[in-house]
This record gives sequence, C-alpha cells and structure tokens, in this order.
Amino acid sequence: MSEPRLDVHAQPGPCWSVPKGLRRVPKGLDELATEHLVLNMGPQHPSTHGVLHVLLELDGEEVQAAEASVGYLHRGIEKLAESRKYHQVGTLLDRSDYLAGLHTEAAFAMATERLAEIEVPRKAEWIRALTMELCRLASHYVWAGTYGMDAGAMAPFLYIMRDREMILDILEAITGGRMMFNYIRPGGVFADLPAGIDQPIRAFLSTFETYLAEMDALLGGNEIFQARMHGVGVISRETAMAFGLAGGTLRASGVDFDVRRDMPYAAYPELDFDVPVATGGDCWDRYVVRIEEMRQAARMIRQLVDGMPEGDFTAKVPKVLRPPAGEMYAAVESPRGELGIHIVSDGSATPYRMRVRSPAYYNLAICDEALAGSLIADAVVILGSLDIVLGEIDR
Amino acid sequence: MPASATEDILRSASVAHEAGSEALGTVMRIGPGDVRAALGALAAGGFDQLVDMFATDTGEAIEVTYHLRALAKLESLFIKTTVAYDGAIESVWEVYPAALYPEREAAELLGISFPGHPNPKRLLTVEGTEPLLRKSIAIRGPEEVQFS
Repeated sequence: MSEPRLDVHAQPGPCWSVPKGLRRVPKGLDELATEHLVLNMGPQHPSTHGVLHVLLELDGEEVQAAEASVGYLHRGIEKLAESRKYHQVGTLLDRSDYLAGLHTEAAFAMATERLAEIEVPRKAEWIRALTMELCRLASHYVWAGTYGMDAGAMAPFLYIMRDREMILDILEAITGGRMMFNYIRPGGVFADLPAGIDQPIRAFLSTFETYLAEMDALLGGNEIFQARMHGVGVISRETAMAFGLAGGTLRASGVDFDVRRDMPYAAYPELDFDVPVATGGDCWDRYVVRIEEMRQAARMIRQLVDGMPEGDFTAKVPKVLRPPAGEMYAAVESPRGELGIHIVSDGSATPYRMRVRSPAYYNLAICDEALAGSLIADAVVILGSLDIVLGEIDR
Repeated sequence: MPASATEDILRSASVAHEAGSEALGTVMRIGPGDVRAALGALAAGGFDQLVDMFATDTGEAIEVTYHLRALAKLESLFIKTTVAYDGAIESVWEVYPAALYPEREAAELLGISFPGHPNPKRLLTVEGTEPLLRKSIAIRGPEEVQFS
C-alpha cells in the first residue's frame, strides 16, 4: 500500500512530501491485489513539449508517483559560454529558450552591462521592451495552442499559428531572424528599427483583440476544456514559493511577483501595465493568467510603438569587452517567469562562469509533486499548464 | 532587510560568517558544514524563496552559491560556501525543495555530493560523464571529427 500523501492544506509544517521514487509494489494483500505499472511517457510524446521523459507509477489510471527525467537536449551552454567572447554568447542563449530567445539575450546583456558599467541609450531600452513583448506574445501563442492540444482541442492551434506568424514576420523585419535572433547585445541592440515598422505592428494590434477573443472563446469558452481545467493540478501558494516557481505559474498560485514591475529593467518603468494574479492555483487559473498577460503585452506594445523615442540604438561598446572581475546577476520576466543570468567575470574577454536561472527548470521540478494523485489525462494537462521549454531546462 | 539583520539571523543560529557587500549585493560566506543550519535559519527569518543555486570551479575548490530572496521586501542575499573537489555539502531540500534539481545538477557537473538528497541521481548527463563544468575538463573532446 502506498503511503497517503500529505494534505498540502492541512499540514502545518512542510507542505511537500518526500520524493519516494518509483516502486512496483502490490497494492494490498486481498485477493484483488494489483501491481503498480511503471509507464514511460516520452521522450517522444506529443504532450511533453519537446523531449521530456516522465516516468509514471500507475495504479490503474491513477498516477501514484511521477518523476521527470530531463537532459535529452543538454548541449552544455553554460560550459560553452566560458569559451565565447561576451558578444558571442547571445547565439548560444537563443538556443536555450528557443521560444523566447530575446529574453535570455536581454538578461545576459543586462548582466554584462551592469558588470562593465555600460549606459544603455533610452531608445535601445524601448526597442528591447518592444521586441521582448512581441516575443512574449509569440511564446504565449505557442503555449495556448499546444495546451489546447494537450486537452484534446485541435482548432486553437491552427488559429494561434496564423497570429504568431504575423509576429514572427515583424520580428524578422526588426532582428533578421524568426527564432534565433542574436539581436540584443551588451550595450543596446544590433540594429535600429527599420523605417515604417510601426505599420505592420499596428496592423497586428488592430486584429489582436478580435483574434485573441476568438481563440479564447474556442478554447476557454469550451465546456469540456473548462471541465478539464477547473480544480486540476492545484498548487498552493506555499508549495509554489518553496519550489521556486516563476512567472504565470507562480502568479496563478496567488503570489504577486513580476520582475518587470518589481525589479524594473528596460523601458518597463515608463510603461503602464497590470500584473494579473489568480488565487486558485489550478490549471484554469494558469490559463486565465497567461491569456490576460497576452492582453497586457499588447497594451504595452501599443505604448511602445506610440512613444518610441529618437536616439542611438546602442552605446559605444569596445569590440572585445572585458568587464572587471566580479559577479553580477540580472533577471528578466521571460514568458515562463524570472529568467536570470549570473555572470562570474575574472576580467578576461570571456565569462569565467555563466549560470542560467531557468524558470522552466524550476517550474518542471514541481511535476513530481503535482502529478501524483492525478489521472493520466490530467497529468498531461498539468504538464502543459506549466509551460515548459525543454531547451531551457536542459541548456 | 539590512545586512545587519541577516547577520543577526546567522549569529543566532551560531553560524560563523563573513559579510561582504559586492557589486552583486549582500554576500555572506559561510563554512560548508553550516549550510543547512544557515539556510534553515534564513528561511525561518523571512527569506522565503531560493531563487537559484549553482556551483563554480574556482581553480582551487568548488564554490557553491545560494541565491535567496525575501519576496515581501524584494531583498536578495547570496550565501557562498567553498568545498573541496569531490567534497560534500548537506542537502537543503527540506528547507527549500527548489534545491532538488540544482543540487543534482551541481553534483554531476562539478563532482560534489549532497548527502541527504532524496533522489541523488544524475539530472542532465548519463552515467560515466565527467564533471563537465570543472575547469580541468577541456571544451573540446580528445576525439575531434575531421571533415575533409
């Protein structure tokens, strides 16, 4: 008989249970005793969002214990960065969170700038915020589409791909790349905004509300989808804090923390936006929070296009940057949450050590805790609601 | 939370420490044997979030950094400790379950161990892989593929 799990709400002490590992134990000693089945979900599985391998210990359809097994995409980005010059590291970081490369680049650029005391021009800060918010929308679109697919809804995926394509075209015009940008560099950005870029952005914004409402009605308005979400995968505030969750997953559990507002960077102090917070901590709340985040992102993009200042797009940065010896941490709010880069410099042209504080890495760590006790079908939905990107987890 | 208040917490837990203010923020250096006691006291004293934990090869030993935050006051604190190569630091997962993954990662990539970890398996690499983040491990492997 497996031990009863601690009730996260009733327990006054630590609210998480000891990871007990997977065992194929007989359920009981009665005549209908059954053995638990250990099932491999992934690494090739449509609902694991990349190459994630989850081991599920099943009693019938109920998950008794779960364990995520990662590392299939480990490329040693942190090690490789130790041999790259500071302006070359962005290329690696694009490939860590491949849905939001600009955010990782920005975190690295900010850490380098703070270390080398480089003043970034105001226009560069605004361009950064503009491209990052566009990137956030593109990333959230992918999440919403695949989340629908996890729950069995195919149509929203086709709708979001249409909308995401418009953003990728805009990002391509600005940065030259659709996913691997290498655009935000220490000191500013690589190139100025192309002339007339506000036209396609405004065209996108004019359709955004209607299209998002349409997608939201198809997905969030669907009764089956709602029934799959409500009360599933509840993560309490205490558990969310203890496991270091980030972003929409943290805010859906009632923690009001957003790096853009609380540890301001780029143009965010000058922008007017709200931070959506929910208190239920279930899959539905994570859905609602992220959809609202998309509306807020569009609101910010509008302000950024209207108020884009004149000036330089980059500071004067030496060809080979040698920040003084020391350490620096800089964080941005990536679509998945607080993404931090910790640089240790020894004064040479390459980082001595670079650490990526990956939000999806910490968000995934809760899956052992969150999946246990759910049904297989719910496990798929819970994994989807965490919005993980395996490139960032494995690095 | 001013650095002095943090020092009081560590002092009440009788943890020997060396406080410093660097460009990074408030940094406290403690001995590797005190990590569990120090982090337990700090967690009880208001540092409710383990933002990140990682290890660095300094060339002489392994330096482990715990990045804590008191969310209500947005106060950051870096706890650093140094442990010998192949050394051990007690796991802090019971204080901060967020450390479950990074401890596994630090263990395999820098060759240290965390006694008390409930699931001390490798996280990112396969059995037999060298501790890749050590400075003694070259970035290029001995066998280089040549394309002619």
